[in-house]
Amino acid sequence: MTAATTPARQEPPSAWSDLPDEVLQHILFYVSPSALLFNVQCVSKRFSRLASEPLLWRHHCRVHFEYWDSKHRIKQKFMGNVGDVDWKTLYKHRKNVESETAAILDSTIEGQVNRIQKFKLIADFGYDAKDTLLKHCRTSETAEDVLARRYYANAVLDHVHRSKALAEWKKLLRGEPVSLERALGSFDLFVLHDQHGDLLEISEIFDDLASVLRAEHRDLDQQSTRIKALTVARFLRHRNLTGLSTELAYRDLQNTFIGIALQDQEHPSLPLISVAIFCVLAQRVGIDARCCGIPNHVHAMVFPRDDETLDGRPLASGDPQPDPMYLDPYRSDEEVPIHTLRRMLSEWGLQLSQHAEYLGDSSTANVILRTSRNILATVHDFRAHHGSAENTGHPTIRLHANPFADLDNAFYAALWANYIFGNPLRRSEGTTQSQFIPLILERFERLYPMDASLIEQHIVPSYNNPTNAQHWELREALRVVRAADQTPKQLRLRNTRASREGVKYKVGQVFRHRRYAYTAVITGWDIECGMDSEWISINHVDSLARGRHQSFYHALTSSVEDTSIRYVAEENIEIIEPEFPISLMSLAGRFFKRWDKEERVFVSNIRDEYPED
Amino acid sequence: MATESNKITLVSNDGAEVVVDRNVAERSMLIKNMMEDLGEAAMTQSVPIPNVNESVLKKVIEWCEHHKNDPPAAADDDSDSRKKTTDIEEWDQKFMQVDQEMLFEIILASNYLDIKPLLDVGCKTVANMIKGKSPEEIRKTFNITNDFTPEEEEQIRRENEWAEDR
Repeated sequence: MTAATTPARQEPPSAWSDLPDEVLQHILFYVSPSALLFNVQCVSKRFSRLASEPLLWRHHCRVHFEYWDSKHRIKQKFMGNVGDVDWKTLYKHRKNVESETAAILDSTIEGQVNRIQKFKLIADFGYDAKDTLLKHCRTSETAEDVLARRYYANAVLDHVHRSKALAEWKKLLRGEPVSLERALGSFDLFVLHDQHGDLLEISEIFDDLASVLRAEHRDLDQQSTRIKALTVARFLRHRNLTGLSTELAYRDLQNTFIGIALQDQEHPSLPLISVAIFCVLAQRVGIDARCCGIPNHVHAMVFPRDDETLDGRPLASGDPQPDPMYLDPYRSDEEVPIHTLRRMLSEWGLQLSQHAEYLGDSSTANVILRTSRNILATVHDFRAHHGSAENTGHPTIRLHANPFADLDNAFYAALWANYIFGNPLRRSEGTTQSQFIPLILERFERLYPMDASLIEQHIVPSYNNPTNAQHWELREALRVVRAADQTPKQLRLRNTRASREGVKYKVGQVFRHRRYAYTAVITGWDIECGMDSEWISINHVDSLARGRHQSFYHALTSSVEDTSIRYVAEENIEIIEPEFPISLMSLAGRFFKRWDKEERVFVSNIRDEYPED
Repeated sequence: MATESNKITLVSNDGAEVVVDRNVAERSMLIKNMMEDLGEAAMTQSVPIPNVNESVLKKVIEWCEHHKNDPPAAADDDSDSRKKTTDIEEWDQKFMQVDQEMLFEIILASNYLDIKPLLDVGCKTVANMIKGKSPEEIRKTFNITNDFTPEEEEQIRRENEWAEDR
C-alpha cells in the first residue's frame, strides 16, 4: 500500500502561508471580488499571484454577470482555454460599467436636462449595461424614488434592446447570416423590458426543445425527412406550441411575437409564428425547413436532402428534382398536399403560371415584413374596436408591461421593420420606404427622444442629400428634440397671485375627468390656456363655463386608448384620492418618484420645472 | 461478529489506532477508494493515515460521524458556475471553533483525505476571517510577511483605484 510507505510530514506547518497553493486557492474562491482586489492581493507576492488566477476571475465573471455585449464573444471565451483570457481585467471592466451605469442612471433620474446624452452614454456599453439596468428595473418597493428609478431603468433598457434589434435587422439587410428566431425575436426586444425572452434566451428555448425532441425520439436521425418533419410538427402541436385556442383571438397582439409564443402558458401564435417555430426546431434536428410565402396563410415547406427524396429513396441520374412537402403547423400536424394549395391559389384567382412564385420559399426579410404588417393590422383593429359597441373582447394586448405603452412599442417596431425592409430593391430616395419616416419621427418626438442616435445611425445616412426635403425634415426633427432636451426647464413658480390662487391643484394630484371619466395625474399647469387658437377652437374651450382664462393642467393617463399627455381645464378636474392608482403606476415614473400612501398623491420628480409643487 | 465486520481501524502518524464505522470513514474519498482497491483485506488490517496525527484524526472523524447520513454531493457539481456562499450551518460553525493551528490541520487533513464538504467548511471559515480585513490586518491575523517593495505596493494600489469608494 503506497500510503504506508509515504514518509510522514516532518514538521507541522507553522504559518498560514505554508498551506499549499491548491488549498489557498480553494479558500480564495469564497472571498468576495472586492476583498480580493483591495485587500488579499496586497498582502504579499504569493497572495497577489493567487488572487489573480484566471480560474478565480473566470468564476466571478460567470457568476456575477448574466448578459454580455456581443463584442466579448463571451460564450467562446467561457468554453476556451482559461489562460487565454485576462479574466481579471474583464471582471474589472464589467464592474466599471456597472458603477458608471448606476451613476449615469442616478443623474438621469435627478435632473430633467441632457437625458438623451445620458441615455447614449449607457447605451454605448451595449449589453454590458443590461445586468445593472435589470437590477434597477427591480428596485425595491420601499425605495424613495422607486417609480422614477424603475421607469428610467426600463426606458434605457428598452433603448438598448431597440439598438440591438435594429443592429440584427441591419445585419440581415447586409446579407449576413441571421437566424430566423433572432430576426423575429427582434420584435420581442421592442416590448421585452425586464422580462425573460432576449434573443439568446429564445435560442436556448429552441435548444432545449430540440433535446427533449431527440430524447423522446431516439431513432429520429434514422427516419426519412418526411417522417422527421411530421414528428416535429406533432411534437409541437402536442405541446400546444403552435396555433391558437380560438380564431376569435386571431388579431391579438401577443400572437405576433415569437418569444411570447414560446413562453406564454397558452403559447398563442399566428400562422407565420407557428411556421417559424416549426422551421427553427426542424432546422435544429437537421431538416431543411423554410417559410413558404402563400398569401394570407404562411405554410412551412420541407426540402429533401441532397440526392434523395423526402422518403429517403436515392435519386438516380435523370430523375426529376424531388418535390418539397408542405405543412400548416398552425392548424394541423399533417402534411398539406400540394393540390390543396394549388386549389386555394386558384380560388384566389391566381393563374397557374403564378403559382410557383407563391409556392416557393420566402426570405427572412420577407417574413419580417409580413410580421410587421400583422402588427400594423392588429394595432389598426385595436384602435378601431376599442370602445366600440361590438365588443368581442378582442384584439387583446397581453405583452409584458402596460398594454397601451406596449401597443405603441409594437407599432414602433413595425414601423422600423417596414422602414428597413420596406423596399426589397436597393433603396433610393423617393421610394415607399420614406413614407415611414414621418411616422417614426412623430413617435420619436413624442415617446422615444432617446432614439436620436438610432435615427442618426440608421436613417440619416440614406438622406444625406441636402436637396432632398426628407434631409431637412430629419435634421430639423433631431435638432428640435435635442434642443428641448438640452435647454434648462423654465421655472414655474407660485410667486404671483395668479399662480398662487388661480392654480388650485398641484403636480402629483390624481383626478377624474368630469366629462370623460378617465383617471389621470397632474404633471404640469398653466395659469391660463396655453394652446394656440386653432386648438382652442377645435376643443371648444370658449364654450367651457370658465372659458380659456382659467388654469389648465397637463395630465398623464393610461385609461383611454393611449398613453398620451392630456391638457385639461381646471373646471373639468375632480380631484380623487385613490388608495392605489394602479393604472398609472407603470407610467408615472416618468414624472414622479413614488406614490405617497398617506397623502394619496404622487411625489414629484419634476422639481426642475415646478420646484414649489 | 456482524458489527465488527463493519468497522475498520485507522492508524494516525503518531501511532494511535482509531476504530471507526466503515461508512463513517468512507466520507473520505481517499479511504473509500482504498477500501475498494483492497477489498476484504481492508477489513482485517489497519489503515495508516500518515499525514494526520491523532487529535486531528479524531476531530475529523467526529465531523464524519455527524455527517455520515448527508446525501452525497451531486456528481455533476460544476462548482465554477454557481455563486459560492460562505454560509456555514450551525453545527459546523461550532465544530470549527478551534484554535488556528487546529483549523489549519483540519483543512490540510480534509484536503489529504479528500473530504470535500469538510474542506469547504474549513475554507469558508478562513474566508470569513478574511472578510472586512485590511491587508495589514490579514497579515497580522495569519502571520504573513509583507514581501512587497514600497513601489510594488504602490503599483497594486494604483491598479485598483478604478473602483475606489464606489
